[in-house]
Amino acid sequence: MESQQQLYRYINQLIPLSYAELEPLSALVVTRHFKKKELLVKAGEVTTMLYFICKGSLREYFVQNRQQITTDIILENTISGGVSSFFTGQPSLYYLEAMEDVTALCIANSDLEKLYKSDVKWERFGRIITGDFLIRQEQEILNRLQFTPREFFEYFFENYYELLQRAPQKYLASYLAIKPETFSRLKKAYHKKMILQSKTKRT
Amino acid sequence: MKQLPTISPSHIGAARLFLGAFMPLSTEQMEDLLQYCEWRRFNKHQNILNEGETENYLNIVVSGLVRKYIQVKNSEQTLQLATEGHIIQSEISYLTQSPSTVVLQTLEPTILLSMSFAQMQKALEHFTNGERLGRLILTHMYIKKDERRFMRASKTVRELFQNYVQKNPHMLQRIPQKYLASYLNIKPETFSRLKKLQMEKSKLGNH
Repeated sequence: MESQQQLYRYINQLIPLSYAELEPLSALVVTRHFKKKELLVKAGEVTTMLYFICKGSLREYFVQNRQQITTDIILENTISGGVSSFFTGQPSLYYLEAMEDVTALCIANSDLEKLYKSDVKWERFGRIITGDFLIRQEQEILNRLQFTPREFFEYFFENYYELLQRAPQKYLASYLAIKPETFSRLKKAYHKKMILQSKTKRT
Repeated sequence: MKQLPTISPSHIGAARLFLGAFMPLSTEQMEDLLQYCEWRRFNKHQNILNEGETENYLNIVVSGLVRKYIQVKNSEQTLQLATEGHIIQSEISYLTQSPSTVVLQTLEPTILLSMSFAQMQKALEHFTNGERLGRLILTHMYIKKDERRFMRASKTVRELFQNYVQKNPHMLQRIPQKYLASYLNIKPETFSRLKKLQMEKSKLGNH
């Protein structure tokens, strides 16, 4: 129930819907729990579900030369789930793994289509979240193009500082496309800078 | 001032095909949809959108070639090279109506079929299945972008080059080398070498 309230709040930020209008959704979403390291999406398989992450975080990666390359990190209050495969019906190129224990609400593609057809407001919701997927994707591409590794690191931690505590360092390093050693060095330098800044603020 | 490209009936036919690919539309619906759009014409090397401006248009290239790039320090990083049938715009700027960080520039005389942000809001409300069409266009854009994101993250420079040339055999002639090299994230020297190899390979293939 609490998870559904969280989803309703998320939806209402994008589009105002009355309780009665939200109601049809509750019959279509299912709560699911994933243990840390469990896979929500496997590469090579077609994704037919979208997930709203209520609690926990996910990591998207692909495997190359037996190495996992982390391509995205997904936090609460985000819709995710091998979106490209979900859209195309083609096998997913990525794995999606619970990086922490995860509580998510999921909806099947066919049910989402039903919802879209039931009311133009839901169709509008679908259009808005698809726009958000696109924005997120584009931002990701721009970040990788415009930042040096250090800048990307700083940008990332200014926006997602809590991840330093929540995510294993090796995944973060992989996501930022830097070596674990470089990551440690940047992290140290960043902390030093933060401490210096807070000292200057106090004086 | 150079003469702008002329819009011919074949351009209008092509535009109908491009729009119809997103969602089946009746003749009437198609005419209705075109009422929300406008034709825009540009010379070669004209900026369609500058950095800091807010994107007002969603564009389909009906004829010509448009480059999207971001200025990073002293270099221009090419993000997209759009030709006939491709959608191009500064997505984040358009969707959030905030200043663009990217630039759109024509590399050939270009004709665009464009929908302004205001017209888009009207179409979403009044055009039959407008919201659905909007979603399907965004879905298409997402899929294309994700393909590219995956390619860039997972392929070697040589694979990127070969894949591009295979899918777009005529673009090697059409696009100035430096832009294509930047798009594929290849150094110009490496690009020349790969291009030479490719030419030799296709010559061999012809025998």
